[in-house]
Amino acid sequence: MSFFFQELVNGLTTGALYSLVALGFSMVYGVLKLLNFAHGDVYMIGAYVGFFVIQWFGGAAHVSIPVPLLLAIMFVLAAGLCGGLGVAIERFAYRPLRDAPRIAPLITAIGISFFLENAVLLLFGTQYRIYNTPEFISLSSGIRIGSVTIDSVQIMVLVLSVVLMAGLQLLVNRTKWGKQVRAVAADREAAEMLGINVNFTISMTFFLGSALAGVAGVMGGLLFNQVTNTIGFIVGLKAFTAAVVGGIGSLPGAMLGGLLIGLAESFTIGYISSTYSNLLVFALLIIVLLVRPSGLLGRAQLQKV
Amino acid sequence: MSVESQGPQVGADEWVARQAHRREYLPSWLGRAQRAGERVGWWPRLAVAGLAGLVLPLLGIGGFQLQVGIDALVIALLAVGLNIVVGWTGLLDLGYVAFFGFGAYGYALLSSAQIGTTGIHLPYYLSLPIVLIGAALLGLAVGLPSRRLSGDYLAIVTLFFGEAFVEFTNNVAPSKLGGPNGITSIDPIKIFGIQLTTNASYYYLLVIVLVVTMAVLRLLDTSRTGRAWRAVREDPLAAAAMTIPVNRVKLLAFACGAMVAALAGTIYAAQQASVFPTDFDTPILILIYAGLILGGAGSIAGAVTGALVVMVIYDGLLRSPAEASYLFYGLIVLTLLAKLRPWRRLALVLAATVALGFAAHAIAAAISASAVAGGPQSGGWIADALRYWVIVPANAQVAGNFGFVVLICLLVALVQVSSRWRTILLPPTLFLASFVWETRLVVEPSITRQLMIGAILIVMMNARPQGLLGQRRVEVAT
Amino acid sequence: MSAEPADPVLELDQLSLSFGGLSALSGLDLRVSDREVVSVIGPNGAGKTTVFNVITGVYQPSAGDVRFAGKSIAGQPPHVVAGLGVARTFQTLRLFMNMSVIENVMAATYGRTKAMPWESVLRLPRARREEREVRALAEEVLSFFGQRLAGYRWDQPAYSLSYANRRRLEIARALATRPRLLLLDEPAAGMNPAETHEVTELIGRLRDERGVAILVIEHDMHVVAGCSDRVVALDHGVKVAEGGFDQVASHPAVVEAYMGRHPEDLAEAAE
Repeated sequence: MSFFFQELVNGLTTGALYSLVALGFSMVYGVLKLLNFAHGDVYMIGAYVGFFVIQWFGGAAHVSIPVPLLLAIMFVLAAGLCGGLGVAIERFAYRPLRDAPRIAPLITAIGISFFLENAVLLLFGTQYRIYNTPEFISLSSGIRIGSVTIDSVQIMVLVLSVVLMAGLQLLVNRTKWGKQVRAVAADREAAEMLGINVNFTISMTFFLGSALAGVAGVMGGLLFNQVTNTIGFIVGLKAFTAAVVGGIGSLPGAMLGGLLIGLAESFTIGYISSTYSNLLVFALLIIVLLVRPSGLLGRAQLQKV
Repeated sequence: MSVESQGPQVGADEWVARQAHRREYLPSWLGRAQRAGERVGWWPRLAVAGLAGLVLPLLGIGGFQLQVGIDALVIALLAVGLNIVVGWTGLLDLGYVAFFGFGAYGYALLSSAQIGTTGIHLPYYLSLPIVLIGAALLGLAVGLPSRRLSGDYLAIVTLFFGEAFVEFTNNVAPSKLGGPNGITSIDPIKIFGIQLTTNASYYYLLVIVLVVTMAVLRLLDTSRTGRAWRAVREDPLAAAAMTIPVNRVKLLAFACGAMVAALAGTIYAAQQASVFPTDFDTPILILIYAGLILGGAGSIAGAVTGALVVMVIYDGLLRSPAEASYLFYGLIVLTLLAKLRPWRRLALVLAATVALGFAAHAIAAAISASAVAGGPQSGGWIADALRYWVIVPANAQVAGNFGFVVLICLLVALVQVSSRWRTILLPPTLFLASFVWETRLVVEPSITRQLMIGAILIVMMNARPQGLLGQRRVEVAT
Repeated sequence: MSAEPADPVLELDQLSLSFGGLSALSGLDLRVSDREVVSVIGPNGAGKTTVFNVITGVYQPSAGDVRFAGKSIAGQPPHVVAGLGVARTFQTLRLFMNMSVIENVMAATYGRTKAMPWESVLRLPRARREEREVRALAEEVLSFFGQRLAGYRWDQPAYSLSYANRRRLEIARALATRPRLLLLDEPAAGMNPAETHEVTELIGRLRDERGVAILVIEHDMHVVAGCSDRVVALDHGVKVAEGGFDQVASHPAVVEAYMGRHPEDLAEAAE
């Protein structure tokens, strides 16, 4: 039974990570109706940023500043740089294609994703970069409930994710800016005619979504230790699945979907075998799309004929 | 009603209609060639292209170049098949490479020593139909989600499927499918009593197969099936209202595309004599897409041309730094020639770039000898010409990496800013581009060519979405 | 002459459709006979296009039935309904923009041809024959519109046509399905008076020369007055009046639906 709870904890932790990335997908899809293929690679860059911050401050074994400060710098820097990257990608690649047929931004996104992965390869090489988390965060300072361990990294990930997701919900539902985002998502032209600065709103959406992905990247590095140029691809796919399962365009849906995917993955690895975890996520996606295409919390889109 | 030479009139659209419909031909002499080609007709053009393909090896190409040709023809065949699904029917299939893999693995299992103790060694004329039918069924299965899914979702689902194929062949039944080590010792193709063992023979086979496939697809395109496919792309709702069974038509597109890919797979497997799961992963898919997008989705000739161009550059870049540099600098010069008007501006930019380079090099050399100790890595006469122009430090890697990042930022900025700033920013950008090329890109050709593929996709969609030979599409927002 | 009344071409029997809580159509009864032009009028949101969508199979009715030539077609998918002989045009104009004019029309013959893909590729006799027939049919249908869609236009892409010609092309495309019933959704929308007059004449010609029954949604009362054998008025998904134009135009429920309570203006349009 404790095995079940351990897997539950693991699943929630990875699920929180997927939720953060899925939020970015959902937000961008909401305002632009675009699947940002490059989003997973923003996650990957966040992971690299975190790694290099660790190296800058002496490396995992000899960190020269207090660990909480190190973590804060990692997260803030990753959020800022990745947010900026997201804004740049939008301005450079997606904005000119805003009125183009849907296939154009999709192909461009694929191109950007491919380009980013190889640019990182060129800059940083093929070797895996290792976070070596246990060297600077003592994992034993976690919680033990019976024989279930929640180590400190997992606690931090969970707490930070909850805080960020709550903050985003507040932002979108209670602030003026959030209202603008929802307006642009509902009808871009009408929003423009109402005086909303659509370009700025979309840029900010990309910034927020990419910043979250960057933070998730650092979390991923801390949890999974290994960072290489291809980690964004699979995480991106799973986060997209999470967004769709939860209902694309819906933020609570993305959060819920992320948790579900994390749990599904965790239980599959624990009870069946790790080889089938990706296939199971795929199966989940197919089932949801065929049975309830609008997702668990999404609303069905009516098309006017 | 006489409408010749009346010019535009209010209420009368005959003049507008009489102009050749707005086809965007390629600029200058390329466009003239295109128009001339069009007057000749599609079938004569195919015959000429096919003959050119057959004759090419006789002009003395061998060894490495023949392999490049074979790879290019395989990708061209795949692009032509992908064109059915993406170009004609408008379905974004990101798992297409899995059909290629299915064909290759199918042939590998049926015509090698893999299954059982001595293996099934079916001759090609038996294994090919079996593989094709299997691929068609697989295409139908993959196409089933397209009934309910819109473009974006279908893209992701098919992408997953493509990934699933790679994972499947990598992990499942390793004793039968070979796992990560794949299947080796595959029988060569034997048709009409001839056993194909040399690269040249596979080259000729591919040219013939490609020409025949193009012909078949042309015949399909000009028939009711082609019209139905294109109507489904234009407006599925209206197509259904006009008696077209949209779902069936989509499934047919998937099946046909899958069969073409599987055909390419069998020839690939026979020529390589081995197949591995990594042969059918995402980078290959991106290659096919780059070829299709560059050449023009929706056009058979476009698919083939784009694929050939992409593959020649892709494989050719690996050949020698000198040749890669010809390509790189040549492309830059061509782009400048095409895009910088008037002549004075072009001359100004070029002069400024040259001057900037020499000045910077001299300053850097004066500051520190190690800053210019390394030489340009291109080799050939380009390296000699650039020796005192581009700065290549002794330890080039870190500097080159920084330069790469700065270059990307500059390129992004170049696109956004106004024309005057663009002229000012161009010389440093060009100098920096050469710097990055000489220090990093030419040194790592396998990564550079991937970067180039990504760049093709990004640039084409922004600059010329219909591709080189495609027609500009008009989309009505619904 | 047979004493049995022939089945009406189209019969809507207590047709109802709800979207969630919103009732789009309620208990609608309607008949259209062969060679009859019936106009459907009503304010925006009355459910007129919804009726078309239910007939053509885009929506499934919540209750009631749709019968075409006596057989129920409710819930059949659109391409099946079209194959049975019901063709339509769209309020928002849905052409195959990047295909040529003649290809647009030829594409609509898909359901009436049977050649399999391999027959087309090998240019077998059946495929060749069908291709010739399809081409001939397309040319004949396009020539129905005279100089407007004349020969030199045929190979030009549909997007190069003017707006009025695009509407004509859409009707031509619908005719290529050899329909027994033609549903025209606001065929005169966005047209100037001369073009509107042409549309009115066109509808009459379609009925007389091609023998189709026509159901027309229109807002322009000149068209409705000029071509209808019968007029049906809808409001909020319910039929409020039916009869000749004058009858319906002056019907109090219709006047109120459109205008509030001043009948003088509506009566003037009938002249």
